Amino acid sequence: MSTASNQMRDWGLAALFASIVAIAVFVGHRNHELRARQLELASAGAEAIAEGREPPTGVEAAGLVGAARPSPHYAFLRKRTVITEGKVRELGGAHAPATDKLLYDAAQRFDRNGAFVELLGDNSGRAVAARAAKNGIAVSVVAPSNPAGMPWLILLGALGLGAVIAAAGALVGGAARPLGLALGGALLAIPAYGWGGAGATISIVAGALAITFAQMRGTIDRCAAGLRRHKTALAFLAPATIAMLVLVATPFCVGLVLGFFDHHQGQWTFVGLHNFGEILSGGGRAFDDPLNFWFILGVTVLWTAANVILHVTLGVALALVLKQSWLRGKGVYRMLLILPWAIPNYITALIWKGMFQGEYGAINALLHSAGLDGVSWFSSWSTAFTANVVTNTWLGFPFMMVVALGALESIPRDFYEAAEVDGATGWQRFWHITLPHLRPALAPAVVLGSIWTFNMFNVIFLVSGGKPGGSTDILVTDAYRWAFERGERYGMAAAYGTIIFLVLLLWTVFGARIGRKEEAA
Amino acid sequence: MKRPRLATLVITYAALTVITAVVLYPVLLVIKKAFEPGRQFAINASPVPSTLTLDHFGDLFGARGGHGELMFLHHAWNSLVAAAATTVVGVILSCTAAYALSRFRFPGRRAGLTAFLVVQMFPATLLIMPLYVLLDRLGLLNSMAGLVMVYATTAIPFCVWTLKGYFDTLPRELEEAARMDGAGAWQTFWRVMFPLARPGIAVTALFSFMTAWNEFIMASTFLTDDSRYTLPVLIQSSVGQYSADWGFFAAGAIVTSIPVMVLFYVLQRFLVGGLTAGSVKG
Repeated sequence: MSTASNQMRDWGLAALFASIVAIAVFVGHRNHELRARQLELASAGAEAIAEGREPPTGVEAAGLVGAARPSPHYAFLRKRTVITEGKVRELGGAHAPATDKLLYDAAQRFDRNGAFVELLGDNSGRAVAARAAKNGIAVSVVAPSNPAGMPWLILLGALGLGAVIAAAGALVGGAARPLGLALGGALLAIPAYGWGGAGATISIVAGALAITFAQMRGTIDRCAAGLRRHKTALAFLAPATIAMLVLVATPFCVGLVLGFFDHHQGQWTFVGLHNFGEILSGGGRAFDDPLNFWFILGVTVLWTAANVILHVTLGVALALVLKQSWLRGKGVYRMLLILPWAIPNYITALIWKGMFQGEYGAINALLHSAGLDGVSWFSSWSTAFTANVVTNTWLGFPFMMVVALGALESIPRDFYEAAEVDGATGWQRFWHITLPHLRPALAPAVVLGSIWTFNMFNVIFLVSGGKPGGSTDILVTDAYRWAFERGERYGMAAAYGTIIFLVLLLWTVFGARIGRKEEAA
Repeated sequence: MKRPRLATLVITYAALTVITAVVLYPVLLVIKKAFEPGRQFAINASPVPSTLTLDHFGDLFGARGGHGELMFLHHAWNSLVAAAATTVVGVILSCTAAYALSRFRFPGRRAGLTAFLVVQMFPATLLIMPLYVLLDRLGLLNSMAGLVMVYATTAIPFCVWTLKGYFDTLPRELEEAARMDGAGAWQTFWRVMFPLARPGIAVTALFSFMTAWNEFIMASTFLTDDSRYTLPVLIQSSVGQYSADWGFFAAGAIVTSIPVMVLFYVLQRFLVGGLTAGSVKG
């Protein structure tokens, strides 16, 4: 009995996988066909209009659209006429059908880009075609068409038959059991071949074989036992884990996959490694071109190094000063000095952007009052980069200071007293006592701080905004611009995201190793 | 320790004063701008206003949107809803997982801890484009639900890690006693550990709230309809490229950041330990 129920459990796994693959390929196949049909109908409609024939059935609106003329009342409004079913009328107006707007927009696009056939981007399923005709633009709009229904009957039939085969295999026992599981699990591959071709079939068969193999090795039984044994822990973990899978793993995987696609005007095209090739080869741009990946990487590394060095130096120096026993008003200084950390960083960035402004900025006003010339901060790379670094140093040093203060507190007094008795100089005390005690606390803070700085989006985006000409952009802001400021090149942005992720991962692994070494030391 | 030489004293205090002045200067400029008339930032470098006015605060609180609503309150409400919802979602979804990671031993525990850590450290900006594409498909752009989902991607791992750190500090004896009395795992958690962890949960919740309240780039990417703006987007848009009103900005910046700054000062001693404890050691 237990053999049979385990067999059905394993078959269930295979069937679940097969059903997901089969449904996905079916939906993809169906949408592809529907799209092709709609596009074909739209271009047939436009062709019929251009040749003066009746458009075929299924076309929602079609006509010969005239050239745009200024409206008699408002010069900035442009009007077009349309000839449908032999009658001339104006497009739009009080009692015009809603499809008039589609005809008008299509004619506008035709004037800009020439003939086209495509699905509307509004997910309505309508297709539009426009082409040149003798006295105007032939436009046809195809009505949304209902997609074919899900083939539930085939799906259920294949699953039922598969279950019977798997169960029969278990009842016969011996070699029939894995055979039944493999056959029963792979049964859905047959209808999937019709929907999605060889790829879907192979993956379903491979899935069934993998599960059969796992059953023969006893892997599934062990996993099931493990799940039962740790079911309390798993139940406690479930809410956060499921949320992370949905909210983080899904977009992460989508990002990885999109890196292999090109996105242009709402259409995705598979381009393989092209995006990565274009990024890593610099896209044929010179090394000092602000769009060359290696230039941006260089700026990012320089940016990270400069900031982390300044943060650590300033933070440690201030911590050492604040630790002196003779210093008065320590609490007040500490409170004032962590102020930049307390201010939301987008506000800090905007304040400094205002201060670095050319005409009215406070920095130039200070320079003027010192008898110096003002600087146009965002018109050359070095000054714009400096402005970013100054801003980020201002907002970032308190974190290192607080970490260093905490670490200094943990150094026992006796160490210093003993050193003083031995006649060590101040420098020697710093080098041999303070620094070794600071390092274990600072190492993780430096790794964390370098990751924050590497990704300090707000400062770059809001202070210099990449000026001049994108040359002060770092990797994350450049990836953002590919997605949202350079014509929705989502594929490029995704490929950038993947590369940034790999760089960060390398650095974290490397940094963790340094951290561990420091701890051991 | 012996008293230092006079020269050391003078240099130390002078350096501290200069650095403190540099730290305070931008803040004073913003306060000055908030109370000084005019839209431009500063013609002179002095941090003391010459004339005082409350006009900018009047603009900030009095501005009305297309439907006659008070703009500032409207955007503050958006910010509040987004931040509060993120906090509630983050804490509720993560407290059981944090407890499990702190107390139970099971295969995959280390991998799970590392996964939460990596997600927490790595910036959400890496996910911004795929999230945009997904939310667009789901029709959740310009909605608070979509924004909360985006914020939860960072809030949940943050809450898991900080709460796990807090559970680690709680003694195990009480749990063992509860187990002896016949309480199940869920009862032990809900009746014993959860009440004990309340201070840690409160601090974690406040930090998640602050993070969401201060978030700018996600909100400005996912909310394109200006009636949906949160406060950071409103404040940033007041100093856009073509029309900058620094007076409005300064007033808005002060009103928006004072509550979170007060919170920060109250809670900062909890933050440092939490951030560095988990960061590398795993």
